Amino acid sequence: MSNLLLLLILLPVAAALVCYFVRSSAVRSMTVVATGVVLALAALGLLAQGTFEPIMVGSFLGIGSDFLISVLDFALLGVIYYYGFKHKSLLIQGFTLAQAVLLVWFEVFSLKHAAVPALAGDQLTLVMVLVISIIGSLICVFAIPYMKKHEGHQHLEKSRQPRFFFFLMIFLGAMNGLVLSNNILWMYFFFEATTLCSFMLIGHDATEIATRNAVRALWMNALGGLAFVVGMMLIHFETGLIDISAILAGGPQGVVMVTGVGFLCLAGFTKAAQVPFQSWLLGAMVAPTPVSALLHSSTMVKAGVFVILRFAPAFAGTFLSTGVAVCGAFTFVACAALGVGQSNGKKILAYSTVSNLGLIICCAGINTPLALTAALMLILFHAVSKSLLFLCVGTIEQNIGSRDIEDMRGLYSRMPRTALITIIGILTMMLPPFGVLLGKWMAIEASADANIFVVVMLAMGSAMMVVYLARWAGSMMGTREEGTLSESQPLLTSVPLLTLCLGAVVLSAASPWIYNSLLAPWLGSTPFTVGFGSLESAHGTFVVVPLFLVLGLGLLYAVRAASGYRKSRFTPPYMGGANSSVSGNYVGPMNGEVEFSAGNLYLDELFAESKLTPAFNALAVALIILMLGGAL
Amino acid sequence: MDTLILVIIGIVAGPVLGGLVAGLDRRVTAWFQSRQGPPVTQPFFDVAKLLGKERTVVNQWQILCAWVYLIGAATSVALLFAQADLLLIFFVQAVGAVFLVMGALAVKSPYSQVGAQRELLQMLAYEPVLVLVFVGFYLVTGSFSLEALWAQETPLLAKMPLLYLALGFALTIKLRKSPFDFSTSHHGHQELVKGVLTEYSGPYLGLVEIAHWYETILVLGLCAMFWHTNVAIMAVLVILTYLVEILVDNTMARMTWRWMLKRVWLLGMGLSIVNLIWLYAR
Repeated sequence: MSNLLLLLILLPVAAALVCYFVRSSAVRSMTVVATGVVLALAALGLLAQGTFEPIMVGSFLGIGSDFLISVLDFALLGVIYYYGFKHKSLLIQGFTLAQAVLLVWFEVFSLKHAAVPALAGDQLTLVMVLVISIIGSLICVFAIPYMKKHEGHQHLEKSRQPRFFFFLMIFLGAMNGLVLSNNILWMYFFFEATTLCSFMLIGHDATEIATRNAVRALWMNALGGLAFVVGMMLIHFETGLIDISAILAGGPQGVVMVTGVGFLCLAGFTKAAQVPFQSWLLGAMVAPTPVSALLHSSTMVKAGVFVILRFAPAFAGTFLSTGVAVCGAFTFVACAALGVGQSNGKKILAYSTVSNLGLIICCAGINTPLALTAALMLILFHAVSKSLLFLCVGTIEQNIGSRDIEDMRGLYSRMPRTALITIIGILTMMLPPFGVLLGKWMAIEASADANIFVVVMLAMGSAMMVVYLARWAGSMMGTREEGTLSESQPLLTSVPLLTLCLGAVVLSAASPWIYNSLLAPWLGSTPFTVGFGSLESAHGTFVVVPLFLVLGLGLLYAVRAASGYRKSRFTPPYMGGANSSVSGNYVGPMNGEVEFSAGNLYLDELFAESKLTPAFNALAVALIILMLGGAL
Repeated sequence: MDTLILVIIGIVAGPVLGGLVAGLDRRVTAWFQSRQGPPVTQPFFDVAKLLGKERTVVNQWQILCAWVYLIGAATSVALLFAQADLLLIFFVQAVGAVFLVMGALAVKSPYSQVGAQRELLQMLAYEPVLVLVFVGFYLVTGSFSLEALWAQETPLLAKMPLLYLALGFALTIKLRKSPFDFSTSHHGHQELVKGVLTEYSGPYLGLVEIAHWYETILVLGLCAMFWHTNVAIMAVLVILTYLVEILVDNTMARMTWRWMLKRVWLLGMGLSIVNLIWLYAR
């Protein structure tokens, strides 16, 4: 058991060192693929062994592991401070120094260094380990051909890929460590490690804008780190505990402790890029696409969500819980609104990610078994669908040289495979019977018990999300001329894409069983029972498998009907005038040909980013103050 | 077993009733305008004629999308008759609606492109209202499943009057009636030809028409649920509601999406929220 855990955390670190020091692309590719396979198998092995009680981790070379973590903590803070100094960011320096001072005080004066079990695994952990190790590994594999092509455009003298894969791999290890931690100090260390990795990866291209955005990400996450330290200390002050499972078992205990948990939630907000911290995640989109997919859709931002979900029992039934729900719901609706006004594909995905994270956080705040189940479902399915979409956008961008959805119009005619996978990916994000919608359905049903603000915000947000996803999918469909070349993808591109695409569909169909075997034992009380492939709760029933059968057979029939399209007569669209020989064009004034062009309605007057962002930020700050103040 | 029979009744009766409603609609509208109007069964002849026409398309996506629209709409009606989860019914309905829009976006036609964008805005307007109506159902009956409704002794209208009015907005948009008929309408459009439907033709337009009948039945079915205790009053309620729809359709001009978003979000959502506050306060 403990070997498996060490493998999950330390193997990526070892692989990272290999990637960094062996400057051969063949060795690097093999290392990445092999690590991915082993990690995926280890995660499945852990799943097979099931949950486990908190366990101690011994010592390395006679040095206690807790002491080692403390030393690494300060080393990490030192590195972050150095980058704050290098980029002349007072915010980073200030936040890091404050963390260091508080941490010294905490470790030297206030903490009684008793042995605390360092690692533990419940269902939440297992789901996260699966997401990190399997989806994360697929993304790393995708990165191999991607980065080759990416650097091909950059004309570097010396490849920076060793550095890139170093941090990518370290990141996987840090994430596994974070979700497995039972000692809150360990969790803090891994939390900081992901901060540093994301800073390095966002700034990877070393352009001016990349550096600027990386620095912004770093100061925001350093603020999160500071909040984490404060929260940790407050909890310890009241309860004297740093053992997470013991903290959770005690439930909410008094004002100081709940305020501490509130600060941990704030740390989660920064990491999950909740409004008003969303700008770091949007800025992070300058990084190479695998980074966006790995850090900013499926795993790293989930770290923030994870922290909040992990501590959900510690604030159940308090005002803080309501506050978290309202803040999460606000981010959900605010970022959905911001997404409506976007035409940049990666930005749309970023906003949609933040939005969905808000929904998950909202569920953690609602804090009923139904809502927490929804949160876990959303984590799982959102990770699959969203990482798929990021990888699709990356593939598209490398082929057409743009990430604007207007440039993806009729993409099916040029890149049928990628376009089709992207369309499927988008559908799995927003329509039944797929998993993300299943999660959203649970969330809305759970929110009806919470309060009216949350309900209204969820209703608005989910409608807006459909708008910007549906028009994107629709505009990618297009006419494919006969005789055009078929599209070819490198193996290491198509395997991750197809696996994720298939995963999004198959896992959704299996969701009742995933629920039964993986999620149901988590909470002790089960909101759902499974019958006839349906998830039934006191609130309502989602007929998963029957719906899959009906809609799936229907879709198959529709596809069959559509594939018989050669029997139909093809006509150019109606132009209200004389069509020219090219479909979609018409003969205009002076016998000139008028080319077809179209654009989406981005509703600037209502949804302009520049107008909405300041207002949303101000509101969100007010809500966060409300949340933290209410905990007092 | 009973559920299965109900589902089959729903799937068969859905388009029949929907077509009849469309026919009656045309008669009553004609009467409002001092015309004779076509026979009540005219919509069936229209669709039969469409189905018999030569298959012409701009590309294959249209075929796919028209079929999925029909399948989505029929499934949602089937779920309604199975007294399933209201939110689920709503989301399945959205499958059809989204595919209709995607099919329109798949072709290089300015009319259908603009129509599709507007259709999305219409969805944006009515979706939150519908969700809130369903939350109202939950607060009254204690479940999102329609089945739980029958345990109630008083009609829902007594507890959710404002939500019923808000549902009226959704109904008007879904039925493509003025003032919200700017993505497409039953008449040729001044500026958009047939909007989102422009490029669907022949048998595929027939499919879209049948799907629309299903959707009509879905929304009217939801209205009917507001008086579940007495079938006669239920019928009166639905007929009255539909007559008001026709009246509104004939007396209002077509408005713009800005006008719609403001009205529906402020008024429709406002009504829903006030009603929900009442329900939460109980």
